[in-house]
Parts: sequence; structure tokens; C-alpha cells
Amino acid sequence: MSLEGSIKQPADAADARRVLLARGWPWVRGQALRDAIGGLRRNGLMAAAATTTIAIALMVAGGGVLASVNLAHLASVLESQVEIVGFIQRDLTPQQQHRVLAAARDLPGVRSAELVGRAEALRRLQKTYGSLASVGSHLKTNPLPDSIEVRASGPGQVRAVAAALERIAGVQDVLYGTPVVDRLVALTRAVRITGAVVAGALFAAALLIVLNTIRLTIAARRQEIEIMTLVGATPGFIRGPFVLEGVLQGAAAALAATAVLVAAYVYLAVQIAGSLPFLPVLESSAALPGALAVVWLLGIAVGIAGSEIGIRRYLRP
Amino acid sequence: MINLSGVGKRYPTGVVALQDVSLRIERGEFVFLVGPTGSGKSTVLKLIQRIERPTAGRVEVDGLDLCSLPDSQVPLLRRGLGVVFQEFKLLSDRSVADNVAFALRVTETDPVEVAPRVQWALETVGMVHRADDLPARLSGGEQQRVCLARAIVARPRIVLADEPTGNLDPEAAWEIMQLLSAVNLRGTTVVMTTHNNTLVDVLRRRVVELHAGRVMRDESRGLYQTAR
Repeated sequence: MSLEGSIKQPADAADARRVLLARGWPWVRGQALRDAIGGLRRNGLMAAAATTTIAIALMVAGGGVLASVNLAHLASVLESQVEIVGFIQRDLTPQQQHRVLAAARDLPGVRSAELVGRAEALRRLQKTYGSLASVGSHLKTNPLPDSIEVRASGPGQVRAVAAALERIAGVQDVLYGTPVVDRLVALTRAVRITGAVVAGALFAAALLIVLNTIRLTIAARRQEIEIMTLVGATPGFIRGPFVLEGVLQGAAAALAATAVLVAAYVYLAVQIAGSLPFLPVLESSAALPGALAVVWLLGIAVGIAGSEIGIRRYLRP
Repeated sequence: MINLSGVGKRYPTGVVALQDVSLRIERGEFVFLVGPTGSGKSTVLKLIQRIERPTAGRVEVDGLDLCSLPDSQVPLLRRGLGVVFQEFKLLSDRSVADNVAFALRVTETDPVEVAPRVQWALETVGMVHRADDLPARLSGGEQQRVCLARAIVARPRIVLADEPTGNLDPEAAWEIMQLLSAVNLRGTTVVMTTHNNTLVDVLRRRVVELHAGRVMRDESRGLYQTAR
């Protein structure tokens, strides 16, 4: 059997380029995917090691995101509990009281404002301090004033809102916990910064570990890549299957990390709700989607980036 | 076909591999590159494949100036070259046939052409009966024959062989030489580096001797060493 003369060599570079373009990109023909799956099968142990490493890194990073969003949630719950109380002059009619309330609601930095009548104020006092439950029967009149309870949109706005509230005609006096607010502002800022730093550090550590792991799996196949380059495979053709392998490994790792993170979060949320009820924990449906999106994006992104960085050094002509 | 004119090569480490080398190899020639280790033989082969670029002079292959050849065109240059290595470089996890087919598949050869070409290349080197074996089950001579099949399967115009008999016993080395001669007889240019004086002296082909990066001798029907 002879193939003499039947194998066309490109006459020149331009001709060769036309031949290449006419044949189309390898991944369009599905060859890159077949090669990627074949590569993973042939290098099963290395692929499994890399995928496991990525999965662990993603679990750590995903755990960091979950911890961070819960810290942010804790901070916002604490913030929402800061309250400003403006006492209303006793001689105002109900219409005038409502005008004061409307003016308070219009103030910048106000999240909510509501009118608390003196009867309601006394009832709350009795409820909060059980020993005063019978005080109402000993008083001829209710000594408490009507008031407006205002919540600022953040602890940073409390001072400004309180000052503005005091300037509204009809407001006699304003109370808010100055030292508490100042400490809370500092605390929530620290919590947010700590959460972001922890998540960022875990993210960076995960990225480095994964990039290095994929680089090692590619280094183990450098002879295959070397032969490809020497026989004239284009960089795009060589890169395609390796990058796809990275995507598949990243996706498999993200799937494993998703299973572990969902199970662990649901379990821990139930445990905390039972034993530390004062600690606000985000519902699974609120916390998990964002964290899992990060896990999947990170998994696939590091799969691609790791393969790309790992293979680049072998593709220099 | 291959033209080196005034070529110098200094590696970034400062090592000077070639100095003012001029060499013209015509289509269909069989050329032995001889010389001691470090004389620059392998660097000549690397320049022809554009693995390295010269630091002085010009390298032309098949009319292409490799100094000005864009990186994107390098794969196309290499498709016209077949390479045989001293250490075979076969993929240990693939069969003989898959190793040979690899050179076609990664250069996007039409899939219907792959099987007949592999069959032809294995027949040419006499390895059809071992097509399904893994390289580890083959002797050194057999592995080198598979390497040669992989080098010729795409029907290159030039075959470069870097010490192809360096790891082989004399009998296997002789078989490889016969195969390379057969490839050359079909019109393929063969450039081979070697330390094997017996093969050079028996075959009496063109001999280019390098020494410390310079061409010391270029004889059309030469011996491994000149009678000095």
C-alpha cells in the first residue's frame, strides 16, 4: 500500500493557512472535548488529585463567603436595633403630632419613623419591667409623653438624624445611646473589614493552590505537549483540550463543594438556632445562592486560568 | 531546501553554540552531521525546526526565512519536518498505532485519512504486527522504528534525526539506517546527527563535521573522520 503523492503539503504559508481555516476550529468539531475526556481518563490519578484539591479549596473559600455574609448580617441586625426617640410636646393636637411624624419621615437618613402614644409607652414600660406591672393603678395620670421612634438607615446617620429631629417644631427632647452608637459603628466596620479580608485571603490561597496543582498535572504531560508542538500542532489546538479539562475539573470540584457546603450550612444553621438563639443566622435560601455562585465561578475560572498558565510556558515557539 | 548562511548562535547563558556556519542542503540529500559533543550539531537541528533562532545570519527552510517567520506560521513549518529522537519520546500510555496517529490527529488531518496513513507508516518500518502493543513492550530498536513511523506518517519533505542510533545495539542501529536510507530514496531530505563512525563510514554519504560551533569539513561522500 502506498500513499506516495496522495498527501498534500501546503504549497506555501498562505495556502497552509487556508487549509487550516477551511478545516475549522477543533472544538467546533468536538475533537477538543473528546481529547479532554481522553486526557482526564488517561491521567486519572493526577486529575483526581487536582479535582480534590480544587474541591477542598472551593469549600474553604465558600465557607469564608458564608462566614463573611453572616458577619455582615449580624452587623446589619445590630445596626437596625439603634433607635432614636423624640419626645413630643404635650400640648400638640393629633393632627399636629402627625405633621411632626411626616416631617421626621422626610428627614434624610431615616429608615422608619412611627408614633408611640403615651398609653402604648406605659404598656411597654410595664412589659419590660415586670415589677412595674401595677404602677398604672397607682398613678392618677399617665406621666409619659407621646413620642416618635425613629430608626436611621445606618449607625453613621444616627447623630445627624437626632440633630435634625430635635429641630422639628413640636419635638421637645431627643434621646439616643451616644456611646453605644459610637461603639456599634466601630464594631460593625471592624466586622465587615474582617469578613472581607478573611474571604479575600481564603480566595487567594485557594487560587494559588489550584493554579499550582493544575500546573503540576500539565508538567507531568510535558512530553505529550512537546511532541504536539514539534509535529506542528497549533497552540490553539494544544491549548483547547487542556483548558476544557480545567473547566471539567473545576466544575466537578464545584459540584462536590456545593454538596458539602449545603449540607454543612443547613446542619450548622439548625444547631445554632437551637443552642445560640440570640445569634442571627441567615436562612439557607438567603446565604447559599451567592456563596455557591462564587464557588462555581471560582472553580471554573481557576480551572481555565490554571490550565492556561500551566500550558503557556510550553507553547512558546 | 535548507540554507544556513553566516549563522551564529549564542544562548542566553553566554554559551556560543555556532559561529559563522554556512551550509546548503539540497532536496533529496542525505547529510550526516558529525562532531564531538557540544560542537553544535543539535543546535543546527533546532534552528531548522525554529525551536531556536540564530543570533546572527539567516536560516531558510523550503524558501521560508525562519528569522522573519511569524510565530503563527511555525506549526506549518513543522508539519513539513519529521523528527526522530535519540530517546524515542513515545507516549507510554498509548499503543504503537496511537503514537503514530497522534502526529496526524494533532495536526488536524482529515480523520478518514488517519488509519490508512498509519497503516502505511507502520508497514514502511515493519511494525504492523505490533500496532496494538504499548511502547514498554518493545525493544529499543522497535521503539525507534515506531518513532520513525511517527516522523514520516505525515509525509514530510525533510526528516531530522538527532542521534537516532545512540541508544541502540549495532543490529538495531543498522536497521534504522536502512529505513532512513529508504525514506531518503523516496526523495525525502534526511539530516542526521551521529557519533556512530561505522554507519557513516559504510554508507558514504555527505558528511558535515562541526567543531566548537564551526564547520570544519564538508565532504560529499565522506568518512566519519578524515585520514589525518
